[in-house]
Amino acid sequence: MFEIRDLHVSYGKVTAVRGVTLTARPGTVTLVLGANGAGKTTTLRSAAGLHKPDSGEVVLDGTAITGRPAHWIVKRGLVLVPEGRRVFAPLTVLENLRMGGYTTARGELAGILDRVFEMFPVLRERQDGPAGLLSGGEQQMLAFGRALMAQPKIMMLDEPSMGLAPTMVETVLGSIRAMADSGIGVLMVEQNAEAGLEVADDVAVVSRGEVVFSGTAKEAASHSLVLRAFLGDAALVTEN
Amino acid sequence: MIAWYDTNIILIQSTFVGLLMALSLQVPIRFGVFSFAGIGCYGIGAYVAAIMTIRYEWPAAAAIGAGMLIAGVVGYLLALTVRRLGGLYLGMATIAFDLIVGVLAVNGGDLTGGPSGLFGALADVTTLHLVLISAVVIGLLAYSERGAIGRRVEAVREDPELAASMGIDVRRHRQAAFVISALLGACAGGLNVLLRTTIAPTDIGFSLVVLALTMIIVGGSRSWAGALIGAMIFTWLPGFLEFSGQWQKVIYGVIVALAAIWVPGGLLGMMTDAYRSWQRSRRDAGSGDGDRTPLGSRAEGTPA
Repeated sequence: MFEIRDLHVSYGKVTAVRGVTLTARPGTVTLVLGANGAGKTTTLRSAAGLHKPDSGEVVLDGTAITGRPAHWIVKRGLVLVPEGRRVFAPLTVLENLRMGGYTTARGELAGILDRVFEMFPVLRERQDGPAGLLSGGEQQMLAFGRALMAQPKIMMLDEPSMGLAPTMVETVLGSIRAMADSGIGVLMVEQNAEAGLEVADDVAVVSRGEVVFSGTAKEAASHSLVLRAFLGDAALVTEN
Repeated sequence: MIAWYDTNIILIQSTFVGLLMALSLQVPIRFGVFSFAGIGCYGIGAYVAAIMTIRYEWPAAAAIGAGMLIAGVVGYLLALTVRRLGGLYLGMATIAFDLIVGVLAVNGGDLTGGPSGLFGALADVTTLHLVLISAVVIGLLAYSERGAIGRRVEAVREDPELAASMGIDVRRHRQAAFVISALLGACAGGLNVLLRTTIAPTDIGFSLVVLALTMIIVGGSRSWAGALIGAMIFTWLPGFLEFSGQWQKVIYGVIVALAAIWVPGGLLGMMTDAYRSWQRSRRDAGSGDGDRTPLGSRAEGTPA
């Protein structure tokens, strides 16, 4: 069980997140929707320890991890997969995965690596090639695999479908579902609401740093606030 | 050979000191920390070793060790002070630190000998000591450039945030970079003062920062071998450029500019590239096979 309670975050004088509350349960996918600049990424980064929140609580399995350093939080089982498929391009796929297992005991690495390869067979095929030569979708899978190497209880995914070819989006979403089904709690931020709703169990909508809707995926699909949340971008474009 | 050694002993010794000094700037750069504090620590190491030798007649190893210890602590405290700074700002702050060390040396009264510095730091440091110390340092650094440690350092440099997201304690690695840099700088400074027997504030000025930086830019900033190449070139080059007189500085500038523009990986990078393409052409010609160095215990025989 992972909870973000009443989180407030600011960059200098600019408040980016005002009182966001989110929950992620093991085995489920929680989708966080919202327009550009709604504070989604900031929420994840603060929870992961990359940015200090002003107030609020981040609780993982009953332990408060608020404001702790990022590397400490990873060891507790909360792993962030940042936006933009960041991989170490010159290193091989296998080396990237090994780096992900930095916090994992040496004896367990081989077993986890096997499970990652099982989930992402393409990584096994390409394991000795440089990560930079993988396609966008494959790099996203490598980023997932690298996160799995740390044996997370909760994974936070920032825009996993961004910039991917439509066919690849399906594959990536499928693997997100598979990771959740293996017992991991997934907290996923997406701008592509349509795609995200396909695999989500729960949905929260963030707007201007606040949660304006939260409920099940079924409720979300028919809710006007949710519809507005992902039509908001389009509306803004026509206004300009 | 022996005659050659005797005539060039100063240059030979300076090469090793230059190597250690260049490494004190190169190590933090490899960690992604743009710090010049190694040169200030060179000054600390030199002055402490000189004071300990002249005033208290400590043996060379203890005098240099004392300098390294003090510089290491100072380096750690400096890391804590500038922990929020990055990039250019960190570079400026650490240059300021180097200048402060110089100012302290000028104003240190009897302890540092003021503007004229200290004389008569006599000790029994030999070229053999230099070679041994350099070998140990190179061995340790070469080890840190390979395998798991090497990848970790690369991760901290290339994408500190991603490294932190994988559970790597980035702040601790940066602090380590400062301390290693301080130890190397102080070691170089201590050795140099005991070889030359004198130290003055002008010996640890800004020009030393430029010299060390020149060595690693031209030699190569990614590996210890680059620092070695750079140290060799810029210790021996002045001798070959004697004919040019006052134009020497200009020639230096041109060399650095050319290196920065045409060979950003330094001479080491250029040589590695040349070696790789030579190997590739050999492989294409049909002889030899895969030359990728295996990293760690890789599971071979992957199912297709």
